Amino acid sequence: MIKTQGLTKKYGSTLAVDQLTFEVQPGIVTGFLGPNGAGKSTTMRMVLGLDNPTEGTVTVNGKSYRDLAAPMQEVGALLEASAVHGGRSAWYHLLWQAQAAGIPKHRVDDVLEMLGLSEVAGKKVGGFSLGMHQRLGIASALLGDPPVLLFDEPVNGLDPEGIRWVRALFKRFADEGRTIFVSSHLMSEMEQTADHVLVIGRGKLIADMPVAEITQRSAQSHVKVLSPAADQLAPLLVAAGADVSTGARNELMVTGIDATVIGETAASNGIVLHELSPRRASLEAAFMELTQDAVEYRADGNAPNLTDIQETARELTSERSA
Amino acid sequence: MTVTSAQSRPLGGARQPGFGSVLASEWTKLRSVRSTWIIIVLTITLSIGFSALIALVQGVTFDDWGPQEQAVFDPLINSTSGLLFGLILLIVLGVISVTSEYSSGTIRTTFIATPKRLRVLAAKTLIVGLLGIIIAAIIMPAMIFVSQMIFGAYGMETVSAGDEGVMRLILSFIFAGGLIYTLIPLAIGFILRGAASAITLSIGLFFLPWMLAPLLPNWVQENIIRFLPDLAMDSLGGIIAADSAMYLSQTPAIVTILAWLVGSVAVAAFLLKRRDA
Ligand SMILES: Nc1ncnc2c1ncn2[C@@H]1O[C@H](COP(=O)(O)OP(=O)(O)OP(=O)(O)O)[C@@H](O)[C@H]1O
Ligand SMILES: [Mg+2]
Repeated sequence: MIKTQGLTKKYGSTLAVDQLTFEVQPGIVTGFLGPNGAGKSTTMRMVLGLDNPTEGTVTVNGKSYRDLAAPMQEVGALLEASAVHGGRSAWYHLLWQAQAAGIPKHRVDDVLEMLGLSEVAGKKVGGFSLGMHQRLGIASALLGDPPVLLFDEPVNGLDPEGIRWVRALFKRFADEGRTIFVSSHLMSEMEQTADHVLVIGRGKLIADMPVAEITQRSAQSHVKVLSPAADQLAPLLVAAGADVSTGARNELMVTGIDATVIGETAASNGIVLHELSPRRASLEAAFMELTQDAVEYRADGNAPNLTDIQETARELTSERSA
Repeated sequence: MTVTSAQSRPLGGARQPGFGSVLASEWTKLRSVRSTWIIIVLTITLSIGFSALIALVQGVTFDDWGPQEQAVFDPLINSTSGLLFGLILLIVLGVISVTSEYSSGTIRTTFIATPKRLRVLAAKTLIVGLLGIIIAAIIMPAMIFVSQMIFGAYGMETVSAGDEGVMRLILSFIFAGGLIYTLIPLAIGFILRGAASAITLSIGLFFLPWMLAPLLPNWVQENIIRFLPDLAMDSLGGIIAADSAMYLSQTPAIVTILAWLVGSVAVAAFLLKRRDA
């Protein structure tokens, strides 16, 4: 389990991470989402004891990373796959890490095999493709067979087969009870990989909830209703607690109540329905909505619109607890 | 959502890493890149080769020298003409053993594997320092031996191991030279984190005072220059004459050299602990 408390990082005047408090639970895949420059990598570097927090604390399994007795056997990490010495072979690249971490040599061959890199084990890393670098980075993370794994943008450069493999690996590891923390700005990817997401924008936590919920709560998730008596139905749905907007002829877009309630309301009032279909917003859309303010701020460089982000966050969390 | 607690499965044969693990890892890093071996081979061949070449040129032209020049010819000092190349390459070895980690980004992987950063500094210091001593122990006697053979062949004056000053020069250059030319640059590498700047600063520190010293007033030589690491080593090795303003006697020279070694590594350690990786 990874736990942060008021975690804050300033680089000079840049506030990269701002009062982050969260827990990453074992047994599930937790996505760490945010637009470019949101502070994902900075947070991960602080988890690993590489960057010192300006304020706040972060622990892994209850301890500060630097106090772990056998760190690579407790936490595996992929930060930047390109951070390798181009003149060293893949095998040696993993060997020096294994030696430093107290991991037996045979494990190097095992992880190379797992990642399909056995054939290029003796080749210089400098000649590797983007995808091979990524695999080598994942191999490093798995060296110590650790119960906690951190991946910063792990699918960058992987082909579809590689992405499927990585996704399945995360799921399997989560099922084994490990803690999996994966960052990405590719929402569509996270939608299929993560069970839970932490969304950050400009260093601040915007949302912390199950993936299913984040898409459900998005304004873009709605139920489409087609009925010849749409005019009659709309006020009834509003009375039942829905927000209703009218679309094309006979079409209603309903948010706030689910399809079951709509169907029952219609039935008990003798209204015929021609279509009743829940439309779920993609995580992508939900994410865009959540981080819009953060992105806009970055793009035009205006004064921070903090209230908007906090508003969104508050709405989301209050809806969640409701 | 079911949350099972994460239990760590002991990996067959895995153990808690200690300082020995870091030593093994750092040695693997160094020996697994070709550049290390290229630098070592160049250090040895260039210093011995150039010393031999200069000795040969001196031998061939010796008869053309004036009697005064022939009389003051020092066969010991003149057999280390190629040492400059070796020393520059030792500096490069010390610097890049650190800066290659910063330029490639492996320094973060290193500190993920070994979050106790001072262990990494200590392991690199030990390995690179030992390597410096070994290389110096190869080139010093070899340069002198080869040059004496050449001088002898041309009927010039020669020295042998038992002669006064010979062992003093060899030993002080092996130990003081092998250490200061690798470890001060290594520490500077950690401090500046870039190869170009660290090599420039190191070369400036070691060679600039030598070139500037004759132009500087006596009190600068006496109070500053002679306490610089390269000058202290030259005093120790007997290259600087005992009556020179830049001369330091044995004990203060050794203390000065140790102070430079400890001081530079201590600054590196201080910054390493404080800074973000
Ligand atoms: N070492 C550093 N020095 C100065 N500023 C930094 C440093 N590292 C990160 N930053 C700044 O901190 C902010 C957060 O950066 P970070 O790399 O953590 O974002 P990210 O969410 O990982 O982005 P991306 O999706 O682009 O990887 C950015 O504004 C970045 O410019
Ligand atoms: Mg990043």
